[in-house]
Amino acid sequence: MTKELDKPGFSLPPVKKEAGADKITAQNWSKRIKLSILGISPGTITVSTIFHVCLLITPIFVLGHNELLDLSWGFSLFSFSEAITDTMTLIFLVCAAFFLLRRIFLARLRAISSFYDYVVLFLAIMPFLTGFLAYHHLFDYRTVMILHMLFGELMLMAIPFTKLVHMIFFFLNRFVIVNEHTLGKGSRVYA
Amino acid sequence: MAEPNIATLNSEQDVDVNEIKAVLDAHRAKMKLSLKVCAHCSLCAESCFLYTNTNDPKYMPSHKFINSIGKLYKKKGNIDRAGLEEIGDIVFNRCVLCTRCYCPFGIDIPNMIALGRQICRSQGIFRQYDVE
Repeated sequence: MTKELDKPGFSLPPVKKEAGADKITAQNWSKRIKLSILGISPGTITVSTIFHVCLLITPIFVLGHNELLDLSWGFSLFSFSEAITDTMTLIFLVCAAFFLLRRIFLARLRAISSFYDYVVLFLAIMPFLTGFLAYHHLFDYRTVMILHMLFGELMLMAIPFTKLVHMIFFFLNRFVIVNEHTLGKGSRVYA
Repeated sequence: MAEPNIATLNSEQDVDVNEIKAVLDAHRAKMKLSLKVCAHCSLCAESCFLYTNTNDPKYMPSHKFINSIGKLYKKKGNIDRAGLEEIGDIVFNRCVLCTRCYCPFGIDIPNMIALGRQICRSQGIFRQYDVE
């Protein structure tokens, strides 16, 4: 056993399971959720989900972006009304503030946080904050608009080189790795 | 400092940096990716029974991983014996390799801790089971 453990990447022997134990039934689905990451920290995961949905959907369906797409390429997607986009941006900023405060005030996060974490959060927030300011014509419109474009480009460029790479890996994780977040059947449980 | 139950052979000698570097190079890609993907979100905390029993951040799987393999990777293997003994304390005393830790991004933390143990063992640093 020691020999095997010496090599990283050792695999544990397969565990025998009762037939149908993995099946999601009316009896065990609530237990499965309780054991999943959603059941362990429901607040964080809920905020995180809202944060990510707003982050992905808002820029695609915002009116201004589609207007620019139409001007340059001659096609555009449908857009949400400005009121919806405005609300979604506000929700996003509130969720982002939650993440920032969490990182500042929770001891367990402070223990592993570095300057880099704040930089990445800053990169994710700034395109939305400047977009929000530009829409409401707060501060000098031209400057805010240029900042909006620059921060948007910076964030997109940072994706492959920082932890923002989970934007891409998310989709692989959900199929490749077996746990409670995958689209396959989960096998890991909390203690 | 390392706890007394971390034994160290040849304690007078310096660690063989080239040997450590060879192991690190062999697993470089996976280490680099794991360290880059870690979002420092601390969602792995509750999956470690050592953390849930102590509520001490130093028992978080991510904390253990960042301060052992992460430290070795950042220093590119250039570490002295005292530093490696500290890492030995983390990988042998703060983790039992039960492989139940959970990462939302799918980082294989037990694998990384096992790699840390392999490096420590290669330099004569290991857990002494007959000492409390």
